[in-house]
Amino acid sequence: MKTLLNWLDQRTGLVTVAQTCLNRPVPGGASWFKVWPCTIAFTFCVQAITGFFLWMYYSPGAQTAWESVYFLQHEVIGGWLLRAVHHYSAQTLLVLIGIYLVQQIIIGAYRAPREFVFWATVLMGLVTFALLLTGDLLAWDQNSYACTQVRTKFLTLLPMVGGEFYKLAIGGPAFGHLTLTRFVALHIGLFGGGFLLLLVLHHVAVYRADTAKSKSAEKSTPLWPDQIMRNTVARLVVMVVILLLALQHGVSADHAGVALGSPADLDPSNYYAAARPEWAFLGLYEFSHLFPGELAILPIFCIPGLLVCVALAMPLLGRCRAGHYFNVAFTVVILVGITVLSFRSVAKDRADADHQIAIADEIAQADRVRQLARSPEGIPATGALTLLRNDPLTQGPKLFKQHCAICHDHLDAQQKGIKAEESSAPNLFGFADRKWIAGLLDPKQINGPGYFGNTAFKGGDMAEFIEEMLADLDEDEQKDIEKLVMALSAEAHLRSQRELDAKHAEARQGRQLLLDDYGCTDCHKFHDKGKLGHGTDLTGYGSRQWLVGIIANPAHKRFYGKENDRMPAYAKDILSDRDIALLVDWLRGQWYVEGLGIGD
Amino acid sequence: MTPPEQPKSSDGRRGFIVKTIALICGGFSLLIPAAIGVVAFLNPLRQKSTGGDFIKLASLEVLPEDGTPRKFPVVADRTDAWNRFPDEPIGAVFLRRTAENKVEALQVVCPHAGCSVVYEASAGEKTGKFFCPCHAASFGLGGERLDKTSPSPRDMDSLDVEVRNNTEVWVKFQNFQSGAAKKIVQT
Repeated sequence: MKTLLNWLDQRTGLVTVAQTCLNRPVPGGASWFKVWPCTIAFTFCVQAITGFFLWMYYSPGAQTAWESVYFLQHEVIGGWLLRAVHHYSAQTLLVLIGIYLVQQIIIGAYRAPREFVFWATVLMGLVTFALLLTGDLLAWDQNSYACTQVRTKFLTLLPMVGGEFYKLAIGGPAFGHLTLTRFVALHIGLFGGGFLLLLVLHHVAVYRADTAKSKSAEKSTPLWPDQIMRNTVARLVVMVVILLLALQHGVSADHAGVALGSPADLDPSNYYAAARPEWAFLGLYEFSHLFPGELAILPIFCIPGLLVCVALAMPLLGRCRAGHYFNVAFTVVILVGITVLSFRSVAKDRADADHQIAIADEIAQADRVRQLARSPEGIPATGALTLLRNDPLTQGPKLFKQHCAICHDHLDAQQKGIKAEESSAPNLFGFADRKWIAGLLDPKQINGPGYFGNTAFKGGDMAEFIEEMLADLDEDEQKDIEKLVMALSAEAHLRSQRELDAKHAEARQGRQLLLDDYGCTDCHKFHDKGKLGHGTDLTGYGSRQWLVGIIANPAHKRFYGKENDRMPAYAKDILSDRDIALLVDWLRGQWYVEGLGIGD
Repeated sequence: MTPPEQPKSSDGRRGFIVKTIALICGGFSLLIPAAIGVVAFLNPLRQKSTGGDFIKLASLEVLPEDGTPRKFPVVADRTDAWNRFPDEPIGAVFLRRTAENKVEALQVVCPHAGCSVVYEASAGEKTGKFFCPCHAASFGLGGERLDKTSPSPRDMDSLDVEVRNNTEVWVKFQNFQSGAAKKIVQT
């Protein structure tokens, strides 16, 4: 063994280097206050190790970035933990550098001959910010996209070169593939590599400063084993803290580790309204709100730049006693300021109901895209966003709010759902299901706000018929109406009633009642009987095809004809066929459900 | 001048404990992230290769009755990590009619090094043969090696065939490890 080591040392000198490092003097002896550089180096190691393995799964590209992270998070065993450890070790790194810096300032350790130790630490802090900012985007979910969009837009504040800097940062005039390829290269190559260089520079500066000091009168002990023992214990504590942070949301559920939002949507109308930077930037975020828009360059570039300049000047200022006191006071003021601003920002958001709704919507969307990604069709080559764009459950409410909720409500029995701007048309929640049709045929409800109350049909032929013929029914007649409702509702072929509709006997009786006893076909067409032109066609009432037809053109003779109230023909330049289909599928509850499929 | 007094570093029993703690903590702290990474790294071992199911390749009538082989693509759903591609070519098979109602199937992948074997129609000779352009291995119509010393360690890989309803040719599509003397199914 000894011969081998001797041989190795003779050829490479590595053993001597290792011994020099291990036995380098620690002025003043081993101490728990001297563990910070080692924990910083260690946390960076954790970053490098986990980052390397993340890199093996990451696919930078607008249609693959989120998808590859999804795959890692949900399909790879332990993938979520890998992501979470990488994420939280980055946060920990920032905190450790902060502690180390503050300690250096307070005890005046930045003074000669340790200026370079301090400068290297400040620069490591800045590079860590850059690592956080570039790493954040890579998940390519709604929040990281929206935040990075804002941050990179700040570059355009810079005079003269702003527009060019922006294009260079995101790889073109707009976000896309090249933004991600660039950010990966910056994150790993420039900032990851840069941090490593600074770390080496820092440790060399420490070595030189300590060696110089130990030659003077101060007592010192070798690094090994006392200081190294303290260092490694601190390292293990840091690792345990990172693990606890990573495990805080459990180990098995979908939200274990670091939550992955829904995929980045470059469509400005789907911009994420509740985008907020990570905690480390919240203070600056809130600070920037203190300035009017035209002065945004001050809080974003000028003042933070000034702070960095002051920090870099501290070792020089600290040469005199007054300067040192200034440094300490300055640091305290900045830290308190950042803390106060951060908490203020959090408190504001907590009190903001719209903000909380936007967050809840985004969480629901992230859940939904996960369900769709797990469906048998899986993620198509066009990316996971396609799943959401083709999903009635996601698109239906948006389309309804924009195009239908001017007049129509979509409110359940608890009055939850979408409220119309001015309710003046039937509530379409549960349209054509048994409950809805029973309400339509109820003399007490037909002229109410949920049906014809605010429309041109109030008190019309249909309403009159119901009020006259269907009021004060005896028990048998009520049973008849129930059967009739079953028969008409079965025309819709709703998934929610599939099992109910399968019981044919009563519906067949109801059908007969509809055709004969109640004379519906005097005004309405129903399959082979009756004519179009007066009432709406009851054939396939509420079915997909029927609903697509009425939304496309309600004034068609199959529907309201000339009596059409105010409803526009949506197929004429308002909605595409695809949008109408999405809306109809949503109204009919026809979306992908785990275990049930899409239905039909 | 005497050198300044140095505080003693730990030695003896205390030193041993300190050193042990240092080694254990140092080792564990690095082992944790490395282990998490390695677990994720090994994930591909869980992934199974596609194949093993009977797939309908052709109808019997398109196969020449004289036993000339024809190449058919194998089309199936393909999963690539997070993406699913419906109906993609995942391989190819030579089909050859050996009797009225009997069909033989051969993998196009050469057992030697995984290149694609081509069919060369007869040029003056009695029948054609299979030929691999990478290392010049030749195979007879039954997939048997023709060269005295063939680069291929085994004959071409035959696949299970079923003729269903007298018209449909179904093949159990599988890939096999190349380079081995025995047929080993790739999992």
